[in-house]
Amino acid sequence: MSARSKAPASARNGLTIAVFAAVVLSMPFWLPLIGGYEALATKIVIWAIFAVGFDILLGFTGYLSFGHAAFFGTSAYTTGLMLKHVSADVLPAMGASILVTVFLAFLLGVITLRRAGIYFAILTLAFAQMFHVAALSIFQGWTGGDNGLTMSTRPELLGIPMTGLNVFYFAAAIAIVGFYIALRIRNSPFGLMLRSIKSNAMRLEYTGVYVRAYKQIGFMISAVYAGVAGSLMVIYEPYVATKFLHWSTSGEIVIMSVIGGVGTLIGPMLGATFMLYFQNVVQAFIGEQWKLVLGIIFMLVVIFMPGGFMEGLRRLRGAVTPGGASGAGADSTASARQPAE
Amino acid sequence: MTINSVFLQLLTGLQLGAIYALIALGLTLIFGTLGVVNFAHGALYMLAAYCAVIIAGKMGFLAAIVLVPIMLFVVGIALERGLIRYFYNRPHVDQILVTFGLAIVVEEVVKWIFGANNIPFKLPAWGNGVAFLHEYIPFLEGFVVFPKWRLILVAVSLLTVFALFALLQFTRFGLIVRAGMREPEMLRFLGVDITKRFAIVFGLGALIAGIAGVFGGPITQVSPGVGMNLLVPSFLVVVIGGMGSLAGALIAALMLGMALAFTAEIASLQQIIIYLIAVVVLLGRPRGLLGKKGVME
Repeated sequence: MSARSKAPASARNGLTIAVFAAVVLSMPFWLPLIGGYEALATKIVIWAIFAVGFDILLGFTGYLSFGHAAFFGTSAYTTGLMLKHVSADVLPAMGASILVTVFLAFLLGVITLRRAGIYFAILTLAFAQMFHVAALSIFQGWTGGDNGLTMSTRPELLGIPMTGLNVFYFAAAIAIVGFYIALRIRNSPFGLMLRSIKSNAMRLEYTGVYVRAYKQIGFMISAVYAGVAGSLMVIYEPYVATKFLHWSTSGEIVIMSVIGGVGTLIGPMLGATFMLYFQNVVQAFIGEQWKLVLGIIFMLVVIFMPGGFMEGLRRLRGAVTPGGASGAGADSTASARQPAE
Repeated sequence: MTINSVFLQLLTGLQLGAIYALIALGLTLIFGTLGVVNFAHGALYMLAAYCAVIIAGKMGFLAAIVLVPIMLFVVGIALERGLIRYFYNRPHVDQILVTFGLAIVVEEVVKWIFGANNIPFKLPAWGNGVAFLHEYIPFLEGFVVFPKWRLILVAVSLLTVFALFALLQFTRFGLIVRAGMREPEMLRFLGVDITKRFAIVFGLGALIAGIAGVFGGPITQVSPGVGMNLLVPSFLVVVIGGMGSLAGALIAALMLGMALAFTAEIASLQQIIIYLIAVVVLLGRPRGLLGKKGVME
């Protein structure tokens, strides 16, 4: 616990949100300065929403899901179909996507949350892959199979065309609200329950708490974030790729969260930014091997710095101000074996 | 359905189950002893298939059959000593993450060297062509053929399974490993150095993946993504069978293989049948068919 936690939680939250909003909203201006481009900012914000939601599950309850692509992808397909066949307005499309995601998360939660740890990771991986397979075979008529789902009309929000920066600010607003909700969840009694599940689910069960319900709700909240992100992805590039349902999408969100720092909310978003930046900007310099480099970075982080970038930052701060930051004693030994990156 | 088609589907199911069984056996063996879920197990299969293509091309197929499993055994032991053992005391999530990262790295390295596409795997002359089954089996009517290589795969899988069970059942090493799967603490108290033996178990799992790669490669594919594509159904096999249960994995592999073979005519059902079976089994028996209470709670 750092000394700063003595300040009231609400005041700290307000400051965090303000800084976060400023950074996010100004992204189209600062991102091009470091080699990015405007459209990349939109993608980063969308994945950041996905990452925050993923952290509510992995970071708080400690459940590693390898199946969040199911929510991201199903929601994307729902949005695509709604935009194509019902209305070009994004609101009904997003509403429908969220409903579908909640329903799906309920079903998958009932099946997969029976077990924890390794079992849970495998089960989510397998059942998410079922949706990918089903989209390519049974629902081929709806999803367009391997070709993906293309839309002819541009989506709009209450008459405003969703193009360029409009999409960005729409997504950014949702990201800020989503981050705020996540912060509130973390400080709420419900968030405490989720984190108690991570530290000792059995003890929690013995105190008379119905753990399954908390897990289920946490899982569903996390899924809704993934669904919103999937929906926004389709609004951003009016196209649904089958890759959205593939396990590699689940893998990407896992990599982002872990690289950034699980359980910190900010970390996974940082990881999302890093990964997309790497994928789109750094790739230009190192070519096709960017995935290999990313895989190696991921392994190094898992092996030497399980807390991700956020742990790295903490160690750096501990090293720069010896004795200043609390827990510097523990940090100094840790920073000694910090890998050179 | 005629007796011929039923027979052929049984054979196809056996062959499909054989590949799953080989991969799942390694997975569940490593899981049962070391408590580690190896997300890189598919990558080991893929690596074995690539090695087999290269060695078979340069030194002949028989050399590949001998060398590749040995190579994979060495790779497995190196992996356990160099990486996995540092993760025994870390959370399970970390073990999944590090093996997942490893799978990505191996896949990307192979993609870098050999390209992303499927490379051809030529069968040896003695394994090519089809077997005329009606000449050997009296109750078949008319003309029944089946690819020879697939029969060989089934035979090799059966041999591997028997060898593994014999090793675990009838040797001192097997006795210690089986005891270690049940009560690793107690074994340590008794002064048995189980970590050394568990390293061998990891190598053994990799060796089985090596056998699967040599004989399965010509049937599945030899592409960087093949490992991960096989890993998902193999995980299902392990989970349906009950994690850490070798017999369970065999039953589940056979079950899924048969399910795939007998739904071949309904393509859309075939795609998701294995997941449907998994849902049904897990709703009824959350620990899997032969899963024991207390394993991985």
